[in-house]
Amino acid sequence: MKNFIFGFLATVVLIPIVPLTYLRLGAAEVRGDVRAPSWESRLMEFALHASVTRGAQRIQNPLPHSDEQLIAGGKMYLDGCAGCHGRPGRPARKRIAYAPPPEFAHVGTQYSEPELFWVVKHGIRRTGMSAYGAFYSDQQVWQLVEFVQQMNNLPPAVFDAIQPKRP
Amino acid sequence: MKKFLAGSLCAIIFLAIALAAYLGLGLMDVAADQRPSAREADFMTASLEASVRRRAPQIQNPLANSDDTLIAGGKLYLNDCVGCHGEPGQPPSDFGATFYPPAPQFPSAGTQFSEAQIFWVAKNGIRMTGMYPQGASYSDTQLWSLAAFISRARNLPPAVVKAMQPPPSK
Repeated sequence: MKNFIFGFLATVVLIPIVPLTYLRLGAAEVRGDVRAPSWESRLMEFALHASVTRGAQRIQNPLPHSDEQLIAGGKMYLDGCAGCHGRPGRPARKRIAYAPPPEFAHVGTQYSEPELFWVVKHGIRRTGMSAYGAFYSDQQVWQLVEFVQQMNNLPPAVFDAIQPKRP
Repeated sequence: MKKFLAGSLCAIIFLAIALAAYLGLGLMDVAADQRPSAREADFMTASLEASVRRRAPQIQNPLANSDDTLIAGGKLYLNDCVGCHGEPGQPPSDFGATFYPPAPQFPSAGTQFSEAQIFWVAKNGIRMTGMYPQGASYSDTQLWSLAAFISRARNLPPAVVKAMQPPPSK
């Protein structure tokens, strides 16, 4: 029994040392233009979604769904988000940056409105997604979120209304 | 010995289950506006720097060490980098601070990296940060001029500062 416990403890101590040493010696890939192995990105996406779901548990959208909200959200989106996340009605860009920002107009999103709200407000650690809670009011974030959710299915009136005006 | 190995095997299974539970239950904190512990942040910063030192080329900047190089780099910097990394002579970027890890503020904090390392980071980006690879947008010559500028961003010759004024409107 003593040997069993000793084997257990030795392994619990030794196993974390391996990845920590790997990192600290600079053995880890750091280039953003090299794709991560798919097991790694899938595992991280799984953990990320679980964490966001947990964070957004008690959040509810207080705003009604209307074309006005979508238009307000769409204008903010084109102004602040489209640079990385793509514009509706435009072809998807080839991205190899890791982690790549999702092109919502092409892949949509699996996140619910409260989850998107949480992500926009708090950002995502160790990605290019910064925390926008410092710059947008809650109401603006909800408008954005409604737009992102419906981006692939916009009422034509909304799509026309958010196009930049050519003088 | 058999019992030792059995204990070791149990530990491996235990750690795997613990990791799966930690990730699957969403216990890994992902909010960029919550800072991880200083110990974690320091460790990850040191690991990142070790990786860059190990991988970046150890070469001299092939461009002439001149004010013209710095001015060319400075113009690129003002165009594309200031939004996150801060503008010379201005307070640090609020936007850069909303990422985690936060964007380093070169004009105020400088950088530990050599010009070749800055070039390499700008070209390839840094995985799992907001630093996207710029190699597709800029030529190597442009990136070297940028590296020269960033490496001296805290200590620019007055002639260079003057030549960069007024900065293009953002």
